[in-house]
Amino acid sequence: MKRRSFIKKAGLATAGTFFAPYILPSGRLFAAAGDRIVNHVVLVLFAGGVRHQESVDQAYLTYQGANSGNIMPNMFSGAMPSSNLLYTPWNPIQGSSLASQGTFFKELEYAQGPTGHYNGHTAAITGNYTDVGTNLAINPDFPTVFEYYRRHNDPAKSAINAWWMSEGLGPYPALNYSKHGMYGPMYGANYFRPYSTFGNIGLDYLNNGLTLQPDDVGRLNSIKNFFDSNFDKSASDLPGIINNSTDKEAIHAFMKDVLNRTQNGTVDFPLPNGIPTYEMTGDLINIQYTWEVLKNFHPELTVINTFNLDTCHSDFTGYLRNMHKADYGVGWLWNKIQNDPVLQNDTIMICMPDHGRNDLPNNVYDANGLRAFDHTSDANSRRVFALIVGPPNKVNQNLSLGSAGNPVGQTIDIVPTIAHILGFYDQIPSGMLPGQVLTQAFI
Amino acid sequence: MKNIFLLVFFSTIIFSSCKKEVLKQNVYDNVYYEVTPVTLYTSNAEKNKQKSSLQYISILFSDLFNQNIPGSDLNNIGEAILSIGDKGLANQLILERFLTLPGISIPTQTQMQADLNAFITSTYQRFYLRNPTEYEKIYLKNLIQNDSNITPEIVYAAFALSNEYMFY
Repeated sequence: MKRRSFIKKAGLATAGTFFAPYILPSGRLFAAAGDRIVNHVVLVLFAGGVRHQESVDQAYLTYQGANSGNIMPNMFSGAMPSSNLLYTPWNPIQGSSLASQGTFFKELEYAQGPTGHYNGHTAAITGNYTDVGTNLAINPDFPTVFEYYRRHNDPAKSAINAWWMSEGLGPYPALNYSKHGMYGPMYGANYFRPYSTFGNIGLDYLNNGLTLQPDDVGRLNSIKNFFDSNFDKSASDLPGIINNSTDKEAIHAFMKDVLNRTQNGTVDFPLPNGIPTYEMTGDLINIQYTWEVLKNFHPELTVINTFNLDTCHSDFTGYLRNMHKADYGVGWLWNKIQNDPVLQNDTIMICMPDHGRNDLPNNVYDANGLRAFDHTSDANSRRVFALIVGPPNKVNQNLSLGSAGNPVGQTIDIVPTIAHILGFYDQIPSGMLPGQVLTQAFI
Repeated sequence: MKNIFLLVFFSTIIFSSCKKEVLKQNVYDNVYYEVTPVTLYTSNAEKNKQKSSLQYISILFSDLFNQNIPGSDLNNIGEAILSIGDKGLANQLILERFLTLPGISIPTQTQMQADLNAFITSTYQRFYLRNPTEYEKIYLKNLIQNDSNITPEIVYAAFALSNEYMFY
């Protein structure tokens, strides 16, 4: 073959590779940006294992031999307990419950896999059930919602648009991207665990560092670039996501600002007026700093969890108290979102537990003599709920779906639902997501 | 006479058998560390393993403070790193904090300017465990000479955040 001919054919073949149409599951050529319902989604994994009885059913102490009542007045409609109060009631911050401001899937199913926290989180974030029970501190097998979002949006989105904020460490930092070959860290989300990042450890080891002026940053980068040009390897194998330089500088500035304001006590607290800051829980700290991320970056996709309710393994009273506080935190967050000029009327918030808890108690009694509950994959621990809250012209308001024994939807439906809201569901290759879009929620 | 000749002959064979000539040059960094002699790399091509986050932090601390990082600090910093998704950003924030801590071993601007050659060589040895090439020495020297706003802190930060420092 003549050299010129070879080069020409090779060039055409290469160009063809770049421009060859990609046949999507929808049957379309080329990915068209889908219609979005709104531009921002906040998923609150109301996690730690929430028993249907004390949440949706508003049983309070019914199963302990006493009265009923609604201890989640921001999320659900219903009268709060009037007696035997084991917690300090906080007046709801929402004028009407979140259930009335959107669609309430009263009975949703966590259908497969162990009712473990990692499994529940993974199902919600990847849209696939998992049986993984050991070696948890690894990234999930299936792509996360962050990776679908970043890979299948047109134009592509950088990581500053996707955030995962967890109450705890353990395996949870690994949920911002998967080890799936087609996706992975290049499509992952930014991640904070605020209790560490902005708590005492952050204040001790990340705050009050050397402040470089923009000119100095330029000098530093100039020298660093010279060093890097003399070395043939790149530290791209650092575990975790890598932001582009613009986003990295923005997040760097954000962290310094928030650490300073934390030190000065000027970060907003998700607490009712007059409630002291020692009432803050890990859940509320996570919500507090999630708001800082939301108001600074206005990310399109944010996932956050609560977790303190898991004290129910040994302390039912603490479980009730933490549930009441976390409910306030969710109401506070939605209130903030509705008062932000960018996020208001352009955000849908979804709240869903990771899984439920057992029907029958274990053998532990707390200090008040109340029975504790585990979550060991019985039928009751597979019962959860979901709230989809959003603008009245986008989300069906005051709609309640499902009942005991008649679930509507599964926890793996949340990822396709988020993809539907943000307009990239049709771009996800077929077979990746077994769940369905919860279309009932949308107008 | 014949026996003496044979004795000399076999002794020569036995004691002068083939021996591989080993050329190994160890250069010790006694001047700057004064604790344990450190073998320097002869070139950066020898570095092919990436440091883990905790290795990076503990080595950085040693390089900046000439002492091992206390275990409790390392644990806490490990948690701080784990709490941030972008590990490069986490490393940068921790480095910036280190650079303001008391006890850091860093020359003043005046000391740096007084003997740039010595500063550059010692900084390469401190962070990269090797000597700079002539090209690197001249380039960096010109860079510093031409910009009086380049401080030792900026140079140290550039070394600590560079790709080569991530490897060993």
